[in-house]
Amino acid sequence: MLLTASEAKNERMKVGLFIPCYVDQFYPQVGIATLQLLEKLGVKAHFPKQQTCCGQPMANSGCEQDAIPVYHNFVDTFQDYDYVVGPAGSCVYHVRKHFNIIDQTPKVEHVRENTRELFDFLINVLGVTDIPGSFPYKVGLHLSCHGQRGLHQANESEMTPVRDGQLKRLLTSMKGLEFTELDRNDECCGFGGTFCVSEAGISARMGQDRVKDHVRNGTQVLTGGDMSCLMHLEGIIRRGKLPIKVMHAAEILNGAIL
Amino acid sequence: MSNSREKILAAVKANQPEELPLPDVPAFTGDGSLEKFTTILEGIGGKVVPIRGITHLDVVVQELFPTDERVASTLMASSVLVDAQTPIEVLAAVDIAVLQGEFGVAENGTIWLPEANMLNRALPMITQHLVLVLDHKQIVPTMHQAYAKLGSVGDYGIFLAGPSKTADIEQSLVIGAHGARSLTVLLV
Amino acid sequence: MSHSQRSDIFLLDAERTTWHDETLWFVRQKRDKAVYALPEFQDLRELASQIKNHTLSKLDHYLVQFEEAATRNGVQVHWAADAAEHNAIVLGLIRKHNATRVVKSKSMLTEECHLNPHLIKNGIEVIDTDLGERIIQMREEAPSHVVLPAIHLKKEDVGDTFHIHLGTTKGNNDPQQLTEAARQHLREKFLAGEVAISGVNFAIAETGSVVVCTNEGNADLGVNLAKVHIACMGMEKLIPRLSDLSVFTRVLTRSATGQPVTTYTSHFTKPAPGKEMHIVIVDNGRTKQLGRPDFRASLKCIRCGACMNTCPVYRRSGGHSYDFTIPGPIGAILSPNIDMRKHASLPFASTLCGSCTDVCPVKIDIHTQLYKWRQVLAAEGEIPASKKWSMRLLSSVLSRPGMYGLGGKMARQGLRFLPHGLTHAKGYNPWAIARELPEPPKQSFREWYEQQQKVK
Ligand code: SF4
Repeated sequence: MLLTASEAKNERMKVGLFIPCYVDQFYPQVGIATLQLLEKLGVKAHFPKQQTCCGQPMANSGCEQDAIPVYHNFVDTFQDYDYVVGPAGSCVYHVRKHFNIIDQTPKVEHVRENTRELFDFLINVLGVTDIPGSFPYKVGLHLSCHGQRGLHQANESEMTPVRDGQLKRLLTSMKGLEFTELDRNDECCGFGGTFCVSEAGISARMGQDRVKDHVRNGTQVLTGGDMSCLMHLEGIIRRGKLPIKVMHAAEILNGAIL
Repeated sequence: MSNSREKILAAVKANQPEELPLPDVPAFTGDGSLEKFTTILEGIGGKVVPIRGITHLDVVVQELFPTDERVASTLMASSVLVDAQTPIEVLAAVDIAVLQGEFGVAENGTIWLPEANMLNRALPMITQHLVLVLDHKQIVPTMHQAYAKLGSVGDYGIFLAGPSKTADIEQSLVIGAHGARSLTVLLV
Repeated sequence: MSHSQRSDIFLLDAERTTWHDETLWFVRQKRDKAVYALPEFQDLRELASQIKNHTLSKLDHYLVQFEEAATRNGVQVHWAADAAEHNAIVLGLIRKHNATRVVKSKSMLTEECHLNPHLIKNGIEVIDTDLGERIIQMREEAPSHVVLPAIHLKKEDVGDTFHIHLGTTKGNNDPQQLTEAARQHLREKFLAGEVAISGVNFAIAETGSVVVCTNEGNADLGVNLAKVHIACMGMEKLIPRLSDLSVFTRVLTRSATGQPVTTYTSHFTKPAPGKEMHIVIVDNGRTKQLGRPDFRASLKCIRCGACMNTCPVYRRSGGHSYDFTIPGPIGAILSPNIDMRKHASLPFASTLCGSCTDVCPVKIDIHTQLYKWRQVLAAEGEIPASKKWSMRLLSSVLSRPGMYGLGGKMARQGLRFLPHGLTHAKGYNPWAIARELPEPPKQSFREWYEQQQKVK
């Protein structure tokens, strides 16, 4: 009943589901929610098994050259899809921005161009404007830097005081959902890939400060579009035994639609 | 030494990229009102006092600074005579300098003070208090109009915005660092 | 020591870290307010960026044009290939005038060249006249920020320092009174100064003028009381036209502190009659950086400090953790050009969040350059061997789907079956010092997916 006139078009679309390595291993429920959410919106996504990773861990460590075979594996895996959709802004950003060091063959260009972050895909490709459902909690939205500043999915406080963004708009349609007004709307959580171990002290401190902002302002459910930031924040929340539940936004939206 | 000059210039020539275009700067404009200028200048610690004319400047200055005596000015009777050759000890004793400001900039409350209006280059900073007389019609909206109006900056000149200040101790704003402790703008 | 080791020392004082972070965040917020209020701010950034790009692309031309104009103005221009030559030129000029008392206003370049120790070693008294600089000079520390050199200190620290050096009452930590004490102390120094050294914010090629921006008025006071003015500048300070200043004066202070403009924007074109003015143009690695296409944009920097104020790492690690004259994100992309080995950890002292790039008033792609420096450092063998090999291994797993599935499963199972004490051991797993590891699920996504396919 949710499906609209565009459903036929959506069903014909060939969509590859890109589930980043750590989501696959540690947060399967996020992958499941992504798949189901897409399905409810009329898109049958397919998960090609030979996918591994976007190569970011190596590249951010300075070993971009070592990541090249990983890049090729990614492109080969997804070249036949119209779109590649993943629930992780950072990995998507990496594909789109940093796959520039391999030969820009038509298939590489195609994959880079059409790899989309889940909510960007919902809004800008499927044209979803709101998702009916209810989620009566105080929700703290964590903006991932790569989604926000890299993929321009949300306004940046460096540019404007207006706090707007794709995910915020989608969640706004949930009945009963109230957003936490954070003191620092878009400060980095300190995950930073290998940064979280090479600069473990600063990384932890940044995460603790981010969590405190949520605690101070009453967050019940902490969510976002990037599971890597959330994994780090969740680690801190669990260590502090704090009463905040961490969920990927795909889980919220998928759960609400039911 | 000139050896380094040639070496540096050669290295620059070898290493600089292909020429990139120099953009024209559009004349962004904005609110050029006296109100805006006044609000901004007061916001950064300046004092703005409208006066009738400069014929009774001495009375105005006396009212503003009743206990200070040593005045150096181009616009009113001075108790300290200052010129470019004035010895440092004399300069250091000046309480108040009353000088002509050329024009103000509304967006940031700054005032153009060319060397010709300073009596001595050090005077605007070394005086304890600075008073600038400004024609209320001489306000431009932004720095674009300001530099366009200037054409030349002369031998030495300052855009001056408020009294000397610092926030170097724990970011607490303190007025009166090394230069003038106060800036009063007399609008005519 | 690496950046992370130095940060760990800073982080030990958690309260001070909070204070440091909040103080600089406050400056960032003042910047935001000023920026939001100016509708054309983003256009001005773009213009500032293009003007600087253009200048760097014709730098040889503008250097010569500037030199000619300055010479016509009666200013003597000197060229220094490196720090040593710069210091020798400055000392030579001071000696020529038989001077021993020098006042110096803020100049990151002279910090970079370590001018003060050189002058002091040669019997010259050199007094930093910017309040923040004077404080750290008394404490024999390096600046921890390009605009707020003493931002790592609390008023109690300053109170103690002034008690020792200026004889203020012990326990007097009032910023107003401490500033007044410094004013009195520095007035004496200004009046006695024979030579004044200043930095340069902008050098205008068409007029030969140098522009110096301060809030305290210390540059003007020092220069105008001394017989000789020596302005020291890195060669990247040039801008082509006087009118370009309209763009830069509008973005500089708004980005730096949120002020609409500095109190003093001073244009020095000709020396006063009977006095001398010198300009020292310094290379010290800049031409080398100009020759690195990926990194030359770092030379556009106007030293506003905004990238430091916004950097979530800098705010929590302090300026000294960078162990380089210019700290923060910009320092992390300038420093490897100077000494790759020594500063190899700096490009890694970032999450690549990109906030620095977004506040930079001249649009330097700072976080992209951080990423690129990492590649250069790894290629040059300047990252730890263990990291290099683990990345190789990771790559070989991640480029072979079969191996990856197996490896992931093993890691996940390991987490499930190994005791918490082992997976969370301090020396063994830096992640776990402050964070729990994710709860390992029974099934990975791909295992679930395969099961679903079979059911269907
Ligand atoms: S890099 Fe940009 S933001 Fe950082 S100090 Fe330089 S000009 Fe300012």
